[in-house]
Amino acid sequence: MPWVPFELHTHTPHSDGRHSLLEMCREAKKLGLGGIALTDHNTLSGMAEANAAQEETGVAIIPGMEWTTFYGHMLTLGAPYCEWRDLGPRDIHKGIQRVHEAGGIVGIAHPYSMGSPICTGCHWEYEIQNWNDIDYVEVWHEMMPPYKHHNIPAFQQWTSLLNEGFRITATAGRDWHHSEHADGWSAFTYVGLEKESERSRPESVVSAIRHGRCIVSMGPLLHVEAAHGGATYGIGDIITVLSPETATIELRIQVEPSSVPGRTADEMQVTKLIVESNAGELAILPRTDQQGAAECSIPAAGIRWLRVKAAGMLAGGHATLAFTNPVYILAASNDELREPYSDVEEMDGVPAWQSRNIAAFTDGIPPEKHGTEKGATEK
Amino acid sequence: MDDLLIVEGNVTPLSSKTHITYQFHIDEPAACLDIAFAYSSKALEDREASRRMILEAIDKYAEPSISELQKQHWERFVPLQNLLTLSLDDPSGFRGSAHRHPPEQHHLLTEEQASPGFIAGPLPSGIWKLTISIHCVVTPECHYRLVVRKGGNADAMGTI
Repeated sequence: MPWVPFELHTHTPHSDGRHSLLEMCREAKKLGLGGIALTDHNTLSGMAEANAAQEETGVAIIPGMEWTTFYGHMLTLGAPYCEWRDLGPRDIHKGIQRVHEAGGIVGIAHPYSMGSPICTGCHWEYEIQNWNDIDYVEVWHEMMPPYKHHNIPAFQQWTSLLNEGFRITATAGRDWHHSEHADGWSAFTYVGLEKESERSRPESVVSAIRHGRCIVSMGPLLHVEAAHGGATYGIGDIITVLSPETATIELRIQVEPSSVPGRTADEMQVTKLIVESNAGELAILPRTDQQGAAECSIPAAGIRWLRVKAAGMLAGGHATLAFTNPVYILAASNDELREPYSDVEEMDGVPAWQSRNIAAFTDGIPPEKHGTEKGATEK
Repeated sequence: MDDLLIVEGNVTPLSSKTHITYQFHIDEPAACLDIAFAYSSKALEDREASRRMILEAIDKYAEPSISELQKQHWERFVPLQNLLTLSLDDPSGFRGSAHRHPPEQHHLLTEEQASPGFIAGPLPSGIWKLTISIHCVVTPECHYRLVVRKGGNADAMGTI
């Protein structure tokens, strides 16, 4: 699967950005980005310049918007303008519904930034009644995100939500306003697509993000393959485990360094890989050999999700260099999973929260074909 | 050029997180629409009031582990500023917005072109709405003035 580096949070003079879309795309190309999402504050008028900018630079441009409201900033992708001005702090689900019905997805931008009057509406204060409605969270915000204080609670919140059983995608966003010289680096959100060329199809990018096929990274790409029961699975997939008490999941992790100047293996060296889950850290794999794949066997008992984090050196300090979105594990016979959600409607015997990604948004594929093992490939 | 709307008013911190919507009627389809918007003050000059508001915001929003450090450096959040933004709706829906900081703005719309943030296209007759979104008022008072004019000839409007 090609993993295309995207920048998912950008601005132009159509709101308060200081570089034109074309100028930004030229910079994006230099950074090695395959695509950007144009997310101006409260308007999509900048998309009128998208064809010309994409044609000149080859950088794909996905339509989006940053709902810049009084109670939080919410990124939308793949939807036209949807109304926000009539919504109060308890009405966000009504707004999200508008975006979903228009074919888009929503992501909370910089949830723990300072709010008004320091930064108006920047801290998320909307009341969320159902986290299943949230498609993604921008857990890494701004330049050099591993070192930014406000990203720490955002990452922790995402982890807690995963532990509660929600499937929410984590992304990065530079909140890119100008192309002048900047110290340090932005993070990439690598988006897993069927084909490279899909990067300019908004539906494909939106679908990949919705299904958690994203790796957030300062540079290195983390290829994760999870094998179980004769099939292999990737990031964002759901593995159904029939006998969780005895089953294992074989993980294979390959680090692919970035070839972008400033982000290469010498400049951003991965020193260890950490397998994290709802049960905490499952494995720590030191990296001395940068070439070979790391492998480990994970007992499936009690595990509902796992992700891989790469730690190493960044600008002279130790930091997280990259992390994947989870591979989800569904214990087929484990009834206790259902309890917190027992009041929601079931679909084809699968509780609605579990089938959220596959039932609500199948991209036209009937649920029976999609199944709970979407993306699984036969060995 | 015909005046369609000339309004002004004062808002206070109590108006933070509210919208003011003006509704006006365009009788005959227009060739261009000209919107001038200004507000003042922009920045809060009162140092003590700024300090108090910043410390309050840090208490409310910062991670407890770093809030003391943030408080020591409260001055990096100065000056606190008012933020009022404009958005426009034509009889059939949203026609754009200008979410940006400068307190004096001039926007033009014609069938072919529009100022950044707005959507070019026909300017049909009917009820239009112009909304001031008051994201934040930090000064004791903030005065705004909004003027909307329409023209029958887009060339008379100058460049966008």
